[in-house]
Amino acid sequence: MTHRQFDWPDLLFGGFLIVVAAGTFAATWKLAGGTAANMGPGYMPRAIALVLLGFGLFFTGRGIISSHAGIERVHVRPLLAISVAVGLFALLVESLGLAVASLATIVVAAFASHESRFFEIIVFGLCMTAAAILLFVKVLALPVPVWPW
Amino acid sequence: MELFDNLLLGLSTAMQLNNLLYCLIGVVIGTAIGVLPGIGPIPTIALLLPFTFGLAPASSLIMLAGIFYGAQYGGSTTAILVNVPGETSSVVTCIDGHEMAKQGRAGPALAIAAISSFFAGTVATIVIAVLSLPLAALALKFTAVEYFSLLVLGLFAAVILAHGSVSKSLAMVFLGLLLGVVGIDVNSGAARMTFGIPALADGMDFVPVAMGMFGLAEIIANLERPAVRQVVSQKLRDLIPSRADLRAAFPAMVRGTLIGSALGVLPGGGAALPPFTSYAVEKKLARDPSRFGKGAIEGVAGPEAANNAGAQTSFIPLLTLGIPSNALMALMIGALMMQGIQPGPQVMTEQPELVWGVIASMWTGNLMLLIINLPLVGLWVSMLKVPYRLLFPAIVLFCCIGTYGISNSAFNVWLMLGCAMLGYFFIKVGVEPAPLLLGLVLGPQLEENFRRAMQLSDGDPSVFLTHPISAVLLAIVALMLLAMLSPALLRKRKEALAE
Repeated sequence: MTHRQFDWPDLLFGGFLIVVAAGTFAATWKLAGGTAANMGPGYMPRAIALVLLGFGLFFTGRGIISSHAGIERVHVRPLLAISVAVGLFALLVESLGLAVASLATIVVAAFASHESRFFEIIVFGLCMTAAAILLFVKVLALPVPVWPW
Repeated sequence: MELFDNLLLGLSTAMQLNNLLYCLIGVVIGTAIGVLPGIGPIPTIALLLPFTFGLAPASSLIMLAGIFYGAQYGGSTTAILVNVPGETSSVVTCIDGHEMAKQGRAGPALAIAAISSFFAGTVATIVIAVLSLPLAALALKFTAVEYFSLLVLGLFAAVILAHGSVSKSLAMVFLGLLLGVVGIDVNSGAARMTFGIPALADGMDFVPVAMGMFGLAEIIANLERPAVRQVVSQKLRDLIPSRADLRAAFPAMVRGTLIGSALGVLPGGGAALPPFTSYAVEKKLARDPSRFGKGAIEGVAGPEAANNAGAQTSFIPLLTLGIPSNALMALMIGALMMQGIQPGPQVMTEQPELVWGVIASMWTGNLMLLIINLPLVGLWVSMLKVPYRLLFPAIVLFCCIGTYGISNSAFNVWLMLGCAMLGYFFIKVGVEPAPLLLGLVLGPQLEENFRRAMQLSDGDPSVFLTHPISAVLLAIVALMLLAMLSPALLRKRKEALAE
């Protein structure tokens, strides 16, 4: 944080809202707005985006004026490990089946914590995979492939 | 007596064997997640939603409701024994409950907490039954105009009474409303902000959003904090509180129940506000306020009764008007809609078994909780010994499978991942995600009613002020906003929420 004078949470949240509002305008500019009595599909999104833009400008302004407030440090390890674990699940579940996807998700997610132990997590992962197959496929009848073949 | 007939009808539904079973499943799951810190009722209910699809509407709602109030029980167990509130609603219980445990009186503290919760649950069930009829009768007179105003009131009240900055929460509501318009516009058939993704045509599913923001984002944030957990290890032999304990606790229990029932009905009141209020009241009424914080039994009985009563009466707006008072109730609306039931006042007359069955099941559920919590408390405590390093990968996996299961689409898993990132960002900038979920669920209803009202009035917005009921509702919104701007109230709210 080199700029010491800003309220970072306000500034970032405000900036985020402005981006969302701008994105909405860009994504809906082709849709008809219509009138209040006969609204087109673009009426509500643009009306809401306008409000969000207002909020965004307000928070950004407040963030610039008000005194410094920092943001807690972002720890990369949990963020990365959980994201990759979830992403792997999405990629693998339909191609390689639930069993492989579950085990991969558990093992990769475990990397998020310093406390995880290798063998423990392999054994635990196998147990959870079996439990997940039993619960979701056998009991709750989720239609999903279990094995890669 | 119509009330008795209704309650009897409800009891006959709730007492059916399969509904008793689903109620039991719900309260057991609820207690478990209440005991375990790091997973709350919101991701759990979101996770189970896809699987309630095959159940009868009453059974599914009975089970989901059981999870909600079961979590309140479980949360107080950990609050007392470990000084870790399993749920936000049991933060206050930590103060005196854990102090009692340290003095070797964990047994009576747990027993008083459970008895208070049961007492409050019983009274709240009756309150729901009594209040539901007139409210539903009133709601039947509603047109699109009144509905729109009611939804606005619900959204604003939820924001103002909940934690956190009001302006940021309002912004989050609008963000949720924006996510709510994603999908094919029902009136024109035009795709709005679907970015060519077919899975978004039916609108954004709120289950991945809820699980990403409340489940995964919380886990990522939790892993950054060092875990501290100390279980008070002592034999829980003397569960039965002494007569003096009961005499001291009873008035607090009654007051807590009243406070909880009243505050729970308010949108946003939900489960967090009542216990804080009750604790403050007990402290003020006590002859010797200095005992509080050092193991005063009133400080356990009052808030525990209040949080349970509040948890249950927060169902009133949902069951009678079809508007959720907090993010959890928004998920319940989702459960109804998945069953093909459009939430609203007509549900009460069209599906009496459903509404009264759920109400009556709260009482049977509370009875079950009393039984599974007191004698089995040792079992729940041993669950705490499951280390977080094993717990969180399992939660991640279950979130993935649950999200995938809604419509067997990997897209939803990606959506959940995106929402987890977004939720993590919100935690970092200090914004509550709950209002966003409310906005997302209510968005389509709000737009539809607004559109219809404007069509009826030929585009004249003054229609919201010329209809008397609508005018009163909007006046309440205006009053609340004005009150929030007054500095004196702002300070009081800060104190109340900070305590």
